[in-house]
Order: sequence, then structure tokens, then C-alpha cells
Amino acid sequence: MEYDKILEMLGRKEFLVVGKNVTRSDALDKVLGKARYTADYVPRGTTLLKVYRSSIPHGIIKRIELDEALRVPGVEGIYTGADVTGSNQIGYALPDQPFLNDVKVHYAGDPVALICARDEYALEAASEKIHVEYEELPPVLDVDASLAEDAPLVHDGGNVAVTTRIRKGDAEKGFREADVEVSDTYWSPYQEHMYLETEAAYAVPERDKVTVICNGQSPFLIREKVAHIMGWDLNQVRIIQALTGGGFGGKDDQGPLVAAYAAFAAHKLGRPVAHVWSRDESVKFSNKRFPARIRYRSGANSEGRVTSIEVDITLECGAYANRSPFWLWRQTAHAAGPYEVHNCSIDGRAVYTTKVYGGSFRGFGDMALHFAAESQMDKLSYKLGMDPIDFRLRNVLVEGGRTTCDQVLDHSVGIKECLEAVRDASDWASHREPVRDGSKVRGYGVGLAYHGISTSRSTPDWSAASLIMNPDGSVTYRTGIVEIGQGSPFGHAKIVAEIIGVDPAAIRIELPDTDSTLDAKPTHGSRGLMLGGTAAAKAALKLRESMVACAAELLEVPSGRIDLAEGRAFDRENPGTGISVRELAEEMYVRGYDPAVHGFFKAPERFFDPETGLGVNYSVYTFAATVAEVEVDTETGEAAVLRVWPAMDCGKAIDPLMVEGQIEGAVSQGMGLVLMENIELKAGHVINPGFKDYVVPSSMDTPQIEPVIIVEKPYRYGAFGAKGVGEPAIISVVPTITNAIHHATGIRFNELPIRPWTIHKALKEAGN
Amino acid sequence: MKPLPKFKYHAPSTVEEALYLLATLDEAEPVAGGTDLVPLMRDAACSPSNLVDLNNVAELNYVREDSGYICIGATATHAQVASSPIAAKAPALVDAVSGIGSPQVRNRATIAGNLCNASPAADSAPPLLVHEAEVAIRSLKGTRIIPLEELFAGPKLNTLEPDELVTEVRLPAPPEGAGSSFKRIGRRKAFTLSVVSAAAYVELSGGEITEARLAFGSVAETPIRTRAVEELLRGKALTGGLLDKAAESVKAEVSPITDVRGTAEYRRDMCGVLLRRALAEAAERAR
Repeated sequence: MEYDKILEMLGRKEFLVVGKNVTRSDALDKVLGKARYTADYVPRGTTLLKVYRSSIPHGIIKRIELDEALRVPGVEGIYTGADVTGSNQIGYALPDQPFLNDVKVHYAGDPVALICARDEYALEAASEKIHVEYEELPPVLDVDASLAEDAPLVHDGGNVAVTTRIRKGDAEKGFREADVEVSDTYWSPYQEHMYLETEAAYAVPERDKVTVICNGQSPFLIREKVAHIMGWDLNQVRIIQALTGGGFGGKDDQGPLVAAYAAFAAHKLGRPVAHVWSRDESVKFSNKRFPARIRYRSGANSEGRVTSIEVDITLECGAYANRSPFWLWRQTAHAAGPYEVHNCSIDGRAVYTTKVYGGSFRGFGDMALHFAAESQMDKLSYKLGMDPIDFRLRNVLVEGGRTTCDQVLDHSVGIKECLEAVRDASDWASHREPVRDGSKVRGYGVGLAYHGISTSRSTPDWSAASLIMNPDGSVTYRTGIVEIGQGSPFGHAKIVAEIIGVDPAAIRIELPDTDSTLDAKPTHGSRGLMLGGTAAAKAALKLRESMVACAAELLEVPSGRIDLAEGRAFDRENPGTGISVRELAEEMYVRGYDPAVHGFFKAPERFFDPETGLGVNYSVYTFAATVAEVEVDTETGEAAVLRVWPAMDCGKAIDPLMVEGQIEGAVSQGMGLVLMENIELKAGHVINPGFKDYVVPSSMDTPQIEPVIIVEKPYRYGAFGAKGVGEPAIISVVPTITNAIHHATGIRFNELPIRPWTIHKALKEAGN
Repeated sequence: MKPLPKFKYHAPSTVEEALYLLATLDEAEPVAGGTDLVPLMRDAACSPSNLVDLNNVAELNYVREDSGYICIGATATHAQVASSPIAAKAPALVDAVSGIGSPQVRNRATIAGNLCNASPAADSAPPLLVHEAEVAIRSLKGTRIIPLEELFAGPKLNTLEPDELVTEVRLPAPPEGAGSSFKRIGRRKAFTLSVVSAAAYVELSGGEITEARLAFGSVAETPIRTRAVEELLRGKALTGGLLDKAAESVKAEVSPITDVRGTAEYRRDMCGVLLRRALAEAAERAR
């Protein structure tokens, strides 16, 4: 079935709600502060849980002494790895991450024990009274130290967690064909998610079951990990995901851990346990954006075609591999950027250090990769004496083009249109010279991005949704795709509303509850709206079939003539003949038309050759282009983003306002990585764990974001053609700003973040 | 989340009562806005057994002009000072207090508290230093008035005795022909600590600088005046050449450090940049 053709299937020419700006059903509660998040469900007096963590970055645990801590008044229980009944292994991709460390610690913050107590005073007092005797090992604090010949091993089996490679065409031959060549090394650092809501879980035990209300990004992964730690079946763990105050990937990784701490302790204690992180814990101990060092060599001929790339990626895992195999693969697979390059040689490795581990974060490797790739494209264009946009237009992927992995893109490729649109909207041609005004100088930069949606290679991928038509015509919608601020479930509701012809407000979106919601896989990889939406469309089409059949019987017209719109079923040929959905719903029960349906959607198969890295890696890609105007104060080194022109090919904008919301947030978060955010470490300890010194952009720093240009190249397997938006929105922001800084100052900065003192020093050295 | 350490709470309604509590209670700290004290308590950097809340002491809440002084009561908030027509006579101060923290912080945090916290980065300090502010300090033993500079003993250290309370900050109402300005560099445009801050005060007569005062934040252990550069400016005409010389000289008079907010070299260079900008604006306002 071609899901981008649903409208034609419905026999309609105009959309009812899809493609229009509709106020989200959760907006009012959120604005009024009435929306309930995990901590809001915890009753007063609930036992509290704190994770006791290692104080050193690397060492063997010789002894854990709990007696004194257990005697602290108010302490109800303390558990270590020795108490774990199921598996004590919670590693995501590799089995390198203990649930509770009882042999060795790998970073300052590794979980060692779970303390349960009646209040925070007792938790703090008990933390002071736990004594762990370590045999300290030398810490490994950067990738070079980790790769050194005599480096201490972070885990058995070596400090390289995983490697990747792609060999396409003949890279050396490609460089021989090149007329110009550029090479550089790029560094992209840790970034903290800084979601407003910190990690939280509230667990209520029964004898052989536990229910957890928590935040996260995949209730099903959380269920799987909790069951694994407990040694239980999936149906013994019930995860209810509360509304979640920001995820950005971080809660995809932390959700299972936090829920498992609470569930495990609640089961041991036999009473409910609440576990809510402080900001300090969240910044120090949760996974960060993986730092990456990318060495990039590229060549182009005098006609302005890129002939070859050679890319070497070193990813810093930190203490655990976590998602690094997928992250590194994504960087490897996207290495050429959204361009057709026939000769590619790419190698990657993910390397352990004894620091806070990296993990999922919006962009998933493509921020660092596109920072490198798009800096290189800019440099090539300057070296060739070509306009940066003209040069890119000669190389961008088009329909029928082949990606870095030699995947043929047969449809849904809109990068050329995006780039031309931002070129025109920003009046690019008249801004080719930087403009000086006193101490300030303004420049324009461009950046492109593409991002494979959902999971890669041959990982199975599916989604699910269910719908109940209640006897009064109200609709209950269940999806395992979670609400983390982005609005995907409301997007699903709009898709359903379009198909069954009701007001989106009449569709109530249930909180995901693993006891009654089908596994929809995680809300990550920008898949929530796309895959979740297709499953919603499948469910809605089934329900529509039931509704139409019942209406045909009632109205005594052939079912082919029935349409559903504005809360009624009617005869297309005599629109006056109809019945309200309210009446229809009751008749469906009375006459035996199934009022409850599931939609299950399996994504198209992908495959790849592990030897060459070539194959079909992602079922579809979203494309984005941005232009930015940046102003640099040459006296102070301060850089301010003044204006941004964004364009995106998202297949079909189910709700343009939500696309705009994603892009506006992404501009701010991307700008943070480029200009100000930095996790500061001292001997492996994070020393800026709060909003005071981990500085993120404020609303005052937000540039003028020009109206978002939406390019719609529909995707065959997305409902109404929709593709993912959340991650593609942020990726191009990074090189756009760095290229604009270069345009303004003539200086390339290859390490992020680029802070005022860095710019000031470079300008000073350049004789400014 | 880390809980606050336990403490006893007192809410006197007169200054006398507050002074009595501070003199008689063990480990007592006065609190008004609490925007510095509460985070310190949470981090266990400060754990008073008794908190003496000044918010009910009506006689401490004012911004008024008295005998040629702009007087700021101990519980006057940044927002109060920012919107006060009296404080407007010291434009550097208004510039600084309008930009501290967020609107929520400015509605709670007091000028006196900002000064007593003795952060080298306190934005209210440089403008008050160039306006030659004084601090009135009371205890049961009596009242003493000291120049603001003498309140600062080091990073986060003040010179108050445990039984003493700052009741007022006051600055001479500037004469005709005076102007002042405050400039800062932060890590973003709002709600962030200053990486460097600078205040300038000048009195002009004809084209000549008859009085010049400069102060800087975040470049030494306390907010500081740079008197050698001031001396360089006095009695001269404000020319580009003089500004160049002052901007260069100031770098020798400051002693910044490198930390998560910036490098020492950067801060030193920025003292020169901010000095020029603040002096130019102060002179503009003086004309």
C-alpha cells in the first residue's frame, strides 16, 4: 500500500485537518501548569531512592561496607549488585554495563548501591556512611590516552568498543582525479540535554509484578530492561509513561535505568519507591552527546564535482559503549553528507574512556558529522573559487542518486529544492561580502543535512497503534509512541481524524501503558510521527471500514458512496443524507461492527554488507538546508546569530506549526552546541553540573527565525507522505553557523564550542 | 534532591529586633531575597542554625534621596532600584541591576544582599564603587559607615561581624556634568554571571575630565577600582589617544583567573574593551 496516497483512496481532494495548523490537545494543560509529570504522581510519604555512586573514575571494588549506613535512622534498605536476582547486566548494545557495579567502577558516578529511606535527610546521611574500598586504577581521560599502546583497559577485550568501515568506489583513484583537496580535523564535544524535567520513576510492587510510572522514550525497552534485571517475564512489568518534560534522546538511555532502580528497590522493599533525580545528578551522571573527532579529506575537480572523500572517525564512548555502535554507524553511513560521491573510504572506531558515557542525543552523530562534512564542502568551494551554494547544487543528491552507502534513493529527495529555497529567501547573492559596522562584522553561511529516519541496517522496525470507538462517538487512541514535548501522538490523532472524519479534539490520547498498549518500538530516530503515524493510519483505515459498512447499512446506500467528515457519515451523492458519528457509534455496537482496531506496520526491509558497509541503510531520509546571518564583535569575540532561514523536506507536514516548533527549538539547541555549551571535567569529574555554569541559550539569544520553508516530497510508507522532523531540524544548524562565522571573520574554527575567548584569541593572532 | 539543612526561622518586624536576634542567636544569618543564601545552603557551603528574615522589617525597604545621597534600604530589590526615578540619577547602577539574573531573581534579590555575598562577579558592585557608595552597618553596639570597598574581604568573604547587619547602601547624588555607565560580557545575553564587567564614572568640565573613576568585576578576588588608570584620565581631554592609553594600562591593574567562564587573557583584554565602551558612554551621558 502507498500510504502517501491515502487522500486519493478516501476519494477526497482537500484535507480536513492534515497540513493545517491545529492547536494541540495538550497545549492548554501544559501552558497552565496542569499537565502531570512523573513526580506529580508520587504521594507524600513515599519511600525515596538515591543511587550511591563511585567517587573515583576508575578502580576495582575491594569491599562495600553498608553496616553503618543501614543504622542511620530512616534508612529502609540498601541494595548492591549482590542482591540482584535476575541479570546484573544492562548494557544496551554490548554487555559492558553492570546494573549495580560490584567488581569495578568505570567513571566517577558509576552506580554501586541503591539507598532507600523515608526522606532526603536520611538518604544524604546514609550516603556519607557507605564505605567503599577501592584499588584505584589510572583513569583514561581522552581518546588518545585510551588508544595508546600501554593504556589501562577500561573493559576486558581492549579499549576499542566497535569499528565501522565503508569502501565505495576507489578513494585513491578519486583523489587522483581531484584538482583541489582539503583536509582537516574536527572536534565535537559532549553536550548535555538539559531537559526541564529530570529523570524520574515511581514504582509500586505486587508480589510478582511491578508497575512503574516514569519518564523515558520507550516504555517497551524500559519493560524489557526491568524484566531482565528482575529475571521476570514481560507481563510481570507494567510501565506507564507519564507525559515527559523533554527527552532529546537522553531519556531513551536513562529511562530503563531509572525505572529499573525504582522497580528493583520497590520489589525488594515490598512497598512503593520514588526516584527523582536532582539537576546535579542529571548533568553529572546521565549520558551526554558522544564527543567525536573526525579527520576528513576531500577532493573535487575543476567542474565542481566532489571526486573522493576519506574520513576517519574516532568516537569517545566514555565508560560504556551504550549506543555507540549505532551512533558510529550513522556517522559512517552519512559521511559524504547529502551529496553523491562515487569514491568513499570511511573508517570509524568507538573508544572507551573512564568518563561519563555518551549516548543518544538529537542528531545521533549527524551533528558532528555534518559539522565536518559541511565545513569541508565550504572549504572546497572557496578553494575552487565557486559560490558555496552553487558548488553544493552541483553535488546534492537527486532522485535516483546514491548515498554514501550506495543506497539508491528512488523517491522523496528534496534537498535541491530546500537549498534553492533558502538561497532565494535569504537573498544569498547580495550577501557575498561580509559587512563591517564599527567593531562588528556580519557574515552569511549555509549548511545542509540529511538524516536517515528510524533505525539502521537490518534492525527490525515496526510500529503499532489502536483505536476504540466508544458508544457515544468519542474515540480512544493508544500508541506506544510517547509525548516528550514534540507532539507526535497529537500528529497521529490528526492522521486518524483525517481518515475517520472527526474533530482531533474528540480523540483522547491515552498515556502509553504496556499492559494495554502494543509495542510500537521507541520514540527516537525521528520515527515517532512517521512510523507511529503509519500504524495510526492503518488502524484508522480499519475503523473507517467498520464505520462505513455500518453507515451504508443504516443509510441504505452502497458503501462506496459513504464518506466521513465533520463528525458524520453521509452519502457523497446526497450529502444531506447522513448520520452523526455519535449515533453511528452506538449502532456499530448494536449491529456488530467491530468498534476496536489495531494497526500494525512493519517498515520495509533493509540490508547491508558488513564487509563494504554498502546496502540499504535507512528506509528514507529527511533533508534540510539553512542559511544564517551571524554577527561577530571583533573586539570581544562574541558571536550572535541574527537571522536563520530554514527549509526542510519532511515529506508532508502533518502540522506545519509543529514542524516550525521543532525547527525553532533546534536552532536554539544547535546554537548552544556551537557557541556556548560545554561539560567541564576535572580529573574525570563534571564540575559544572547546573544551569549556572552549563550555559544554554536563553530566549534573548534566539535569532530571528524566518518562516520555515516546507518542501514536500512524499514518502511512500509514511502516512500522507510524512517523514521525521525532530533530528533533521538541528543538524544543519551547526555548520550553517560555523560557516557564517568563517564568512564574517575569515577564520575557520574546527573545535566546538566556539566561545568568545576562542574567537578573540584567533582574531588577535590574525592581527585584528 | 538534596534537602536544605535544618534551621530555625525568625521574622522580626523592626531593625532593633533583628539586631537583637543576630547578636544572641548562634550561627544566625540574615536573609532577604535568599537567592544567594539558599543555593549555598543546599550545597552545604553555608549551614546557619538560624535565619533572620528581614522581609517584615518595613523600615528597611526604600529607595530615597536624603541629604544629597541616594539611599537604598537593605531589602530594596534589584527590580525596585531598576524602576526608581531616584536611582536613575546613577545610570550605571540602573544598567547593572536591570540586567542581573532573570525578572524572578530581580524581584527577590536585594542590592545589599548582592554586596554582602561578596562575589567578585557581583554586577551591582562596579557601578556602586564608581559612585563611591558607602555602606551603613548596624549592630546593638551602634552604627558604622564604611566605603563599599571595605565591605569586601575576598571571594565570597565580607568584613561584617556575625552580629552586624547592613541596613543601607548610599551613594552621593551625582552633580551636574557627571555621567556613568556599566558594561558587561556574559556567556549569553541574559540570566548569566558576568565574565567581565566594568563601570565608569566621569565628571566633565568643558572638554576636560575633572573626575574619573573605574571599577571592574570578575577580574580580581573582589570587585576593584583601578586607581592608577583613573589618575591617568583626570585633568585630560577625552581623546582617542587617551582612551587607547587607558585601555592598555588597565590590563596591568587587574589580576583575573582562568575558569569555566573564561580565560585570564581574555578577561584582561576585555577590561580594555569595556573600559573604552563604558567611558565613552559615561562621557556621553555627562554632556
